[in-house]
Amino acid sequence: MSESRIPSQSNRRWAAALLCLALLCPALIFLSICIGSTGITPGDVISILTGHGGNEAAVSIIMRIRFPRAVSAMVLGGALGLSGYLLQTFFRNPIAGPFVLGISSGAKLCVAILLILFAMRAGIPGSISLISAAFFGALLSMGFVLLLSTRMRGKPTLIVAGIMIGYICSAATDFIVTFADDAQIVSLHNWSKGSFSGMDWGDVRVMSLLTLLCFAGILLLAKPISAYRLGEEYARSLGVNVHTLQVLLVLYSSLLAACVTAYAGPVSFVGIAVPQLIRALLRTERPQLLIPACFLGGGIFCLVSDLVARSLFSPAELSISSVTAVFGAPVVIVILLRRKGAV
Amino acid sequence: MAAKGYRMENLSVGYGSRVVVSGITAQVLPGEILVLLGENGAGKSTLLKTAAGLLEPIGGDLWLNEVRLSEMNAAQRAVKMSVLLSERSDAGQMTCREIVEMGRYPYTGRFGILGEKDHEIVDRAMAATDTSDLSGTDYGKISDGQRQRVRLARSIAQEPEVLLLDEPTVYLDIRYQAQFMRLLRTLCREREMAAIVSMHEVGMALASADRLLCLKDGSVYASGTAQELAESGCLPGLYGVEMETLDPEYGPELADYLRQSFGIGRQ
Repeated sequence: MSESRIPSQSNRRWAAALLCLALLCPALIFLSICIGSTGITPGDVISILTGHGGNEAAVSIIMRIRFPRAVSAMVLGGALGLSGYLLQTFFRNPIAGPFVLGISSGAKLCVAILLILFAMRAGIPGSISLISAAFFGALLSMGFVLLLSTRMRGKPTLIVAGIMIGYICSAATDFIVTFADDAQIVSLHNWSKGSFSGMDWGDVRVMSLLTLLCFAGILLLAKPISAYRLGEEYARSLGVNVHTLQVLLVLYSSLLAACVTAYAGPVSFVGIAVPQLIRALLRTERPQLLIPACFLGGGIFCLVSDLVARSLFSPAELSISSVTAVFGAPVVIVILLRRKGAV
Repeated sequence: MAAKGYRMENLSVGYGSRVVVSGITAQVLPGEILVLLGENGAGKSTLLKTAAGLLEPIGGDLWLNEVRLSEMNAAQRAVKMSVLLSERSDAGQMTCREIVEMGRYPYTGRFGILGEKDHEIVDRAMAATDTSDLSGTDYGKISDGQRQRVRLARSIAQEPEVLLLDEPTVYLDIRYQAQFMRLLRTLCREREMAAIVSMHEVGMALASADRLLCLKDGSVYASGTAQELAESGCLPGLYGVEMETLDPEYGPELADYLRQSFGIGRQ
C-alpha cells in the first residue's frame, strides 16, 4: 500500500485538523444558541432542540432567532472562506479577498437605490427586496468584472478595475445619500455594518442551497486547481481549459460573496484571513483538503466573531465587520511580514 | 509522408498575426535530443510553445508519430507530450512528491486521486532522477538543481513521447547543467522519448544535442549535428560574433573561450 508515499505524519495532521474543524462547527453552533441576552440554560436548550419543549418564549427565541442566526453565520462564513480561497487561487495573491472586485460596493449602491429612491414612493422596503437588491448589485459588479476578465490578460489590471468599480459605486451611493432623510441614512448605515441577525429559516434554506451548490461545483474543480497552481501554461499542457477554469473561479467566488452580502451585508476580512489560517494549519496546498477546510474554517471564524459581536457589550451589538477585522487584520499583517521574511 | 518522432514542416510561429519565425522544418526521432539555439527574442520559446500546442501555429504542420498535432485534442496531447517551461508557480508548500504526482494528471479521474499504478510510476520517475530522497521536502526549500530534477521527474511521470524543455539549465551551475543534460540524454534513450530543448550555453548544447536548430532573424539560420555545425563555422555568426576581429575585440583568453564554445578547432 501507499502509506510510505504520503508521510503518515501529514496524513494524521490532515485528518486531525479536518476532524477538529468539523467537530468545532456543531459545538460552536450549540454554544451560540446557549449564549444570549435572555438567559436560557444549556439543559433547556437541549430539551428545546430535541423537541421536548420548554416555555414558549424560550422556544421562540431559540428556534426563531438564535438557531437560524447561528446556522447563517456558519453557512455564510463558509461561503466567505471558499470565496477567498478561490480568488487567492485565481490571483495567485494571498491578499486577494472577495471584496477586491467591488462586489460589496455594487451591493451597497443597489441597496441605497432601493432604500432611498424607491422608498420615497413605495415606503419602507421589506427584507426580501433588500436581499434581492444587494444580490443584484453584487452580480452587476461581478458581471462587469467577468466581462473584463475575458478581455484582459493581466490580473493586476483586473484588481485595479475592481477597485475602480468600488469607487464609482461608492461615489454614486454618496450622491444618492444626499437626497435621503435621516431615517434612510440610518438604515443604509445599519445595512452596511453587516450582521447575521434577523435571519429566518427561509433565508437559511436559500443561502444553504446556493452555498452547497457552489461548494459541490468547486469540489469538481479541485483537480484543475491543483494543476493551475503550477502555472497557467503548464496547466494548459496537461489539458486544463484554463480560461474556463478562471471564469468559473471568479463566477463561484462572486456568487458566494454576493450571497453573503445580500443576507449579512459586507463582511470584511474573513475571505482574506481564513484561507491563510487554514493553509498554516494543514500545511498543504492540496485543493481536495483546502476546499472543505476553508468552508469549515470560515464558518468557525464567523460563528466566533458573531458570538463576540453580540455578547461582548450585550445587549448592544457590535457590527460583524468590526469584529472580523479585529481578528482578521492582524492575520493579514502577519502574512505580509512572513512573506517578506521568506523571500 | 510522415515519420516517427516529432516533425515540424514549413512551420511558422508567432503571436496572433505577428510572425516570429517562419519556414521551420525539423525532425526529432525517439530517443534523440534537438537543441534550439539563438539569441534572446529569436523565437525559441515561441517555437517550443507552438510545438507544445500552447500556441496556434501561424502556418505549416506539426506531426507527432504520423498524427497531425492539430487533429489531437488537449487531453490526447497531454498523454503524448510533456512540457517543462520557466514560469511562475506557487508551489512553495507542496512537497516534491506532490509536484511529481502532478505528472499523472492526464491519467487520473475527476478528482485526481492516484491509483497504485500511478504511485509506482511516480516512484520510478523519482528514482530515475535521483529525487526519491526529496519526496517529503517542500518544493520551495530545495536548490535550483534539485528543482529541475524534480520537474524532470514530473515530466517523465507523465510518460510522454515528446519532452519540450524551455531553457532547463538557465539557472544552474555548470556542474548541474552537465548533470541535467546527462540525465536527460539517458532518460530519452531509455524511454525512447524525443526531446526539444532550448538553451543559451552553446558549448553545453554542442556537447549534449543529437541535432541542433539555430534561429536568427525570423528564420532557420542553420541546422544539423553538433559536428556539422562546428565544422561549418556558422555558430559565431548566430550570435553576431565576428571571427576576424575575435582576438583584438575580446583579448586572447576570451577569444579562446569563444572559439572553444563554438567548437572551432576541435577535431
